[in-house]
Amino acid sequence: MATPADVLQDSDARRAGGAAGAVTLTLRIRRFNPEISQDSWWDEFTVEADPLDRLVEVLHQVKWYHDGTLSFRRSCAHGICGSDAMLINGRNALACKVLVDDVGPRVTIEPIRGLAVLKDLIVDMDPFLEGYRTVLPFLINDSGEPDKERLQSAEERARFDDTTKCILCAACTTSCPIFWGDEGYIGPAAIVNAHRFIFDSRDEGSRERLKILSEKTGVFRCRTTFNCTDACPRGIQVTKAIQEVKRSILFDRF
Amino acid sequence: MAAPLRTRATNVLVIGSGGAGMRAAIAATQAGADVIMLGKRERHDAHTVLAAGGINAALGTRDAEDSWQQHFADTLRDAYHLADPEMVEILATEAPAAVLELAEWGCAFARTPDGRLDQRFFGAHSYRRTCYAGDYTGRAIVRTLGSVVTDLGITFVPGQYVSRLLVGDDTCFGAFAFDLVTGERTAFLADAVVLATGGHTRIWRRSSSRRDENYGEGMALALLAGCRLSDMELVQFHPTGMVAPEDVAGILVTEAVRGEGGILRNANGERYMERYDPVRLELSTRDRVALANYTEILQGRGGPHGGVFLDVSHLDRSAILEKLPRMYRQFIEHQMLDISKEPMEVAPTAHYSMGGVVVEPGTAATDVDGLYAAGEVTSGLHGANRLGGNSLAETLVFGRRAGEHAAARAASTDISLRPRAVIAAAADELEVLVRPGHELARPMQRAVRDLLWETCGVVRDEQGLRRALDGLRDLSDSLGDVDVSPTEEGWGDLGHLLDLRSALLTGEATVVGALARRESRGAHNRADFPALDLGGLVHHRVRLDPATRGLVASTDPVPSIRDELAAWIEHGSVDVGSDRLLE
Repeated sequence: MATPADVLQDSDARRAGGAAGAVTLTLRIRRFNPEISQDSWWDEFTVEADPLDRLVEVLHQVKWYHDGTLSFRRSCAHGICGSDAMLINGRNALACKVLVDDVGPRVTIEPIRGLAVLKDLIVDMDPFLEGYRTVLPFLINDSGEPDKERLQSAEERARFDDTTKCILCAACTTSCPIFWGDEGYIGPAAIVNAHRFIFDSRDEGSRERLKILSEKTGVFRCRTTFNCTDACPRGIQVTKAIQEVKRSILFDRF
Repeated sequence: MAAPLRTRATNVLVIGSGGAGMRAAIAATQAGADVIMLGKRERHDAHTVLAAGGINAALGTRDAEDSWQQHFADTLRDAYHLADPEMVEILATEAPAAVLELAEWGCAFARTPDGRLDQRFFGAHSYRRTCYAGDYTGRAIVRTLGSVVTDLGITFVPGQYVSRLLVGDDTCFGAFAFDLVTGERTAFLADAVVLATGGHTRIWRRSSSRRDENYGEGMALALLAGCRLSDMELVQFHPTGMVAPEDVAGILVTEAVRGEGGILRNANGERYMERYDPVRLELSTRDRVALANYTEILQGRGGPHGGVFLDVSHLDRSAILEKLPRMYRQFIEHQMLDISKEPMEVAPTAHYSMGGVVVEPGTAATDVDGLYAAGEVTSGLHGANRLGGNSLAETLVFGRRAGEHAAARAASTDISLRPRAVIAAAADELEVLVRPGHELARPMQRAVRDLLWETCGVVRDEQGLRRALDGLRDLSDSLGDVDVSPTEEGWGDLGHLLDLRSALLTGEATVVGALARRESRGAHNRADFPALDLGGLVHHRVRLDPATRGLVASTDPVPSIRDELAAWIEHGSVDVGSDRLLE
């Protein structure tokens, strides 16, 4: 009978053997460090990687074996936490969801746009989260708790299902040309999170939220370029959600 | 570390921003306390987001005959009677209100056709009592609690690594932390502290925990503060973790896959659960299914990646997409495998710490005055085998209690002493650790994880455990020579070193408990003691000897069950036929 150690050894051996199918990947990364210079610069790294490795693992390889100063956010590496959104070959995506095979043999990585860069690929998320907080992203219901439980039909539940998927990675908001140009625009992610409550049958705060979103920093800044929908790593129909909010404001339907 | 030391004071300091931490922070705030909540990572990014399948509450939505007493009985029976009956009773009686409250706060649970909260089967439950939001229930709960935290304006400080609980005069008065990016050190002073930091399952090579979490940080902090840990050897190995690719091996394939009808087969195509638990089959308790999978693999009936096969391809594709959306995506993304067409290869993975800090069931108070604990960091609720769906319920029920009792303590505190010498010692400790050395924390963490997987995994024996103890002590000897260079890496290096310190301490506590428990019970399988010890219904405790800094072991009897509830254990157990499990 085998032992647990044997199973691990097999696994390690396969991993080592897997390197035989490795490809060479050149990463061109936009760097920034205010302690060194006020200007950004480009660095290139060349690494061996498995075509099925995710880009975040390759970035780890760079950080751990080539240049420990490279800074980027990453956390769950499962596409749940939303911390590693980057501009990868010109498109916003999560580094933990992009395979080497999808981008090679050369990949350009930059920080997401429209937010101040703090260091390398790390941007200041505070203005983004401030926009999110503006739309009252919590359930508002002052009608008192029901005796037993508050009912919600499966259809009512499905009405806002798509927008519950948001992980606040900012891929949508920082792909939006209006957001880049207009500091006041609240951005797609905040509207998605407003949508999640506006169309929740249990919520009573929609009027307040729609008022906030009808202001000049709100939904009517959107010019339906669909960048946000393309960028969303969760596949949320972002532009559709924004249009639904616009329609609610215009026709008072929600 | 020349940066100045900051001080922040509050009523209740909550360490941890997952389910239990947020629920505690909410409860303390609602009770009138000023609260600061610390997180190692960013907002909404605690490990709870990875919880998939669901949360238990005897609401009786689907099966009207369900009751809290039956939830109590199921939990205690399948904990192999090693759970604390009072804690289980609190969980079973309070979970329904906790889940309804969460729904009131906007949690997007799945609904029945008539608009009530839907409930699904989970392994070893007598009735359908697991509420869920697809297979991303943890994320739905975190986002809901996070929305309440935002609404209440609770102060949250992200990126904080707590290196020491501040204890003076046998009373906890705060915690010492540094910022993982800037290195800024802060002494957080509080009237009461809630520890909600999760478990220690990352110290096994195959683990469902993500990187840099669950090294037993909170358990080690509590141990160093003077608390006892209990039953650390009782670690739940989830039967089904991914086996490939290696960089994600161990991450979870949710029990909901089996709940929805997934079938386990070995490489010969045999549905082997018929041999291990012919009645409950794939929906047997996690310890049994894990042991079955482990045995099949080690006896050579595993697949090419050292796993067994979990198959849902007989199910309707649209049902898979609706009920298991995350699993579908997970396999497409990591293996380019369509689970609606092909079986998944899976193997056991360290998943949940059933042991942990000893707490008083009703108040969540630890052995140290002013220190409370809730969630996976604690012991007592799950005994020798945790039922799926009970841990999310635990975070809400006991998180709330911890927050309320911490707030009550803060409100009734006249004078609190905050000895400067204790704060200075915590600051000095970090100064000493930041220095060049010949060892690196990462490879040493890996060595701990490999060692424990090989010697203290699904099945253990005396010889292996002795080897583990020696190995851990050898590694501990090198702890003083670990290189920590903050300028290059941010301050992650220091975090890795402290993670390693926690891993070695909680690893040793685990092995000490595993050696002492000379029986096989639930998740703890001793090859050299394969039977239940019928006289052995005891908790194995450890504490740190203040003089020698060594672990001291002791045992306590398990509290007995109230007569009224004992009847439910004997008579109320429903024999669940396999035909009832799959709708």
